[in-house]
Amino acid sequence: MTAPLAAPREDASAFTRDRAMWGAIMLAPYVLVFAVMVVYPVAYGLWLGLNWNSYRALFADPIFIRTVVNTIIFLFVAVNLKFLIALMLSGFFVQQRPWIRIVLVLFILPWAVPSIPTILSFRVMLNPENGMLNQQLFQWFGIMEGPGWLTDPTLAFISSIFVHIWKSLPFWTLILITGRLAIAQDLYEAASVDGANRWQQFRFITWPSLATLYVTSTMLSMIWTLGDFNSVYLLTGGGPGDLNHVLATLGIRYMRNNNLDLGIASIIVAMPLILPMVFVMVKRLSKGPDA
Amino acid sequence: MKLVRHFAMGTAVAAVVAGWSGAAMAQETLTAWFTKGFYKGEDDALLAVVDKFQKATGVKVELSLYATEDCVTKSVGAVDAGTPPDVGFCTTYDFRTTGKWAYDGKLEDVSDVIEPMKAEFQPMAVSTTFLMNGKTGKKSYYAFPVEQQMMHITYWKDMLEEAGFKESDIPKTFNGYWDFWCDKVQGAMRAKGKRVYGIGHPMGIAASDTFYSFLTFANAFDAQVVDENGKIVLDQPKNKAAMVEAVKAYSNIFQRGCTPPSSVNWLDPDNNVAFHNRTTVATHNATISIAGKHMDDMSNQALTAEQRATAKKNYEDNIRTAEFPLKADGSKMTNLAAVKTAVIFAEAKNKKRAKEFMAFFMKDENLRPFVEGSAGRWVPTTLKAIEAPFWSDGKDPHRAVVYKQYKDGTVPFQFVYNYNFTTVNAENVWAKAVNRVVQDKIPAEQAVDEMIARIKQIAG
Repeated sequence: MTAPLAAPREDASAFTRDRAMWGAIMLAPYVLVFAVMVVYPVAYGLWLGLNWNSYRALFADPIFIRTVVNTIIFLFVAVNLKFLIALMLSGFFVQQRPWIRIVLVLFILPWAVPSIPTILSFRVMLNPENGMLNQQLFQWFGIMEGPGWLTDPTLAFISSIFVHIWKSLPFWTLILITGRLAIAQDLYEAASVDGANRWQQFRFITWPSLATLYVTSTMLSMIWTLGDFNSVYLLTGGGPGDLNHVLATLGIRYMRNNNLDLGIASIIVAMPLILPMVFVMVKRLSKGPDA
Repeated sequence: MKLVRHFAMGTAVAAVVAGWSGAAMAQETLTAWFTKGFYKGEDDALLAVVDKFQKATGVKVELSLYATEDCVTKSVGAVDAGTPPDVGFCTTYDFRTTGKWAYDGKLEDVSDVIEPMKAEFQPMAVSTTFLMNGKTGKKSYYAFPVEQQMMHITYWKDMLEEAGFKESDIPKTFNGYWDFWCDKVQGAMRAKGKRVYGIGHPMGIAASDTFYSFLTFANAFDAQVVDENGKIVLDQPKNKAAMVEAVKAYSNIFQRGCTPPSSVNWLDPDNNVAFHNRTTVATHNATISIAGKHMDDMSNQALTAEQRATAKKNYEDNIRTAEFPLKADGSKMTNLAAVKTAVIFAEAKNKKRAKEFMAFFMKDENLRPFVEGSAGRWVPTTLKAIEAPFWSDGKDPHRAVVYKQYKDGTVPFQFVYNYNFTTVNAENVWAKAVNRVVQDKIPAEQAVDEMIARIKQIAG
């Protein structure tokens, strides 16, 4: 009587073994790609970054602390300002009017076109001598020396933040528009019937519905902004006088000077900023929409 | 029978093919990487040397020409990977790698080639290739002084006249000279409502023009940075005080608004561009490339006849090449020269032939056309070549000034004595100090203290 019972168990275990084997076979290409494209580059980068002398040299470089401070200011100002504006603009663009849709198409253009020509065109426009802005100031008002958009350290830093926001604002506005479109209109109609004004509708309906998307997007944007090389490097090259570098551009500067170890080290020191953000973001996403 | 015939034919063909490929395999080769010339004349002269060498020796020269930046980047990668060419000549080796490679034992000692021909070279030029090897602890010749560059002043004579001045009005004293362009010339142009700057004054961190110009200012105040043993002497009170004056003088031109504001972000071509656009009346520049551009345009068939005529007028009449003014103490200015070096790598596969090739290349009849092919951009390192009519007949107004500067004597960069100064220059501590003064408004004394501390960290 026991033998007939044993056969299905063997079948089951063979089936499980087959499934596991096929699972492993099907998974193998992805594991391989992951190992080659993710694990190896990260591990190699970390291995290259294990030279403690590089960190000593990095911290001894007078420019480094200034770069870290610049990076933190850039992150907090650029990202928060960008999301505040994106939040407001998403409220404008979510309106269903034909002319607003046309404006939206134009608004998206800066994000859609490649970074290099657009940022370099800003560089030309903001040139203190020949740039369009200061030329107009000279021609219209006779101002011989207009503002040093790219030559005054503070203005140059503000210009970099402006270009970064100008370039990435459309994308995040679109994300928040989709978030707003997902909110049921019934809620607004009911609130309106109850006498809620626009601010109250935003505070009690829009914001609670968008909060998760907003915070998660903010963290994602911070990670991307930390690696944003174009806005600063193409506009000012980290100048004037190396005073406006952020970590992403500092690494490139070291590598240009044939100092790969310092370049790697300057990127790895950003890890304490990136890893907590990645951790928090993954944790929030794993909890689902109510997190 | 047919089979035998086919077999015999096949064997014969195979033997011929094998013979050919055997011959091809047996041909000795030499790998050489060079910077691609700015002018066709340079490349043509180089190819002619290669051709002559191949015919004379039967050795095949595999020559690769690279853009300036690619040449040095590729060379550094190849040396790190242990796969360098036999011969390398990139025009930025001297600024960036030659000294370090020699110190690290990456270069072949070429004293046996240099010594027999040493007397033919300008002593300063050949001395820049006598470098320290950190492994042996001894100095020896590790490079070939192929050509060199110097620092010059370039100005628009017609703009100067438009401002109401003659060339004879230009002062010779150091401070008076810069004041003239700053206050008088720029002032006069501004009075006419023109948005023009007196001096194109490189200040960008990433520009080699900046450290070249700044170090010329440092020489004007006799601020010695290292001694001939590579020891840093900038912290000695006399040198430190002189460096403070140099930083003040260099910063002052920007602070007075005499250079375009964008000069703080300039890269190497930007002072040329500002000059060509007539945004600046004068500028200082290593090589006579600014005038050279107009000379090139004179015969550029892609331009209209009118444009060519304008270029000719500019080269011959409107643009002037001049020496720097006298030093701050009234003595003759020191001409800082950058000697462009060719090397043979220690890990080269064919060092014997590489030495033969370089000995052949450095012969006057081969080297001179190569250097002259650059239309004056590069200056000879040999005593004979500088006396050629190309430089010495005085017919060319720009080359005549270069000739005079050469004859006045030159001095080398600090990296010849201490290779770590290639890093100091790459980081551009000089421009950083100037920018700290003009941007962060700190006193020059504090900026020089920071400069000395940083130099000691890197090169001490």
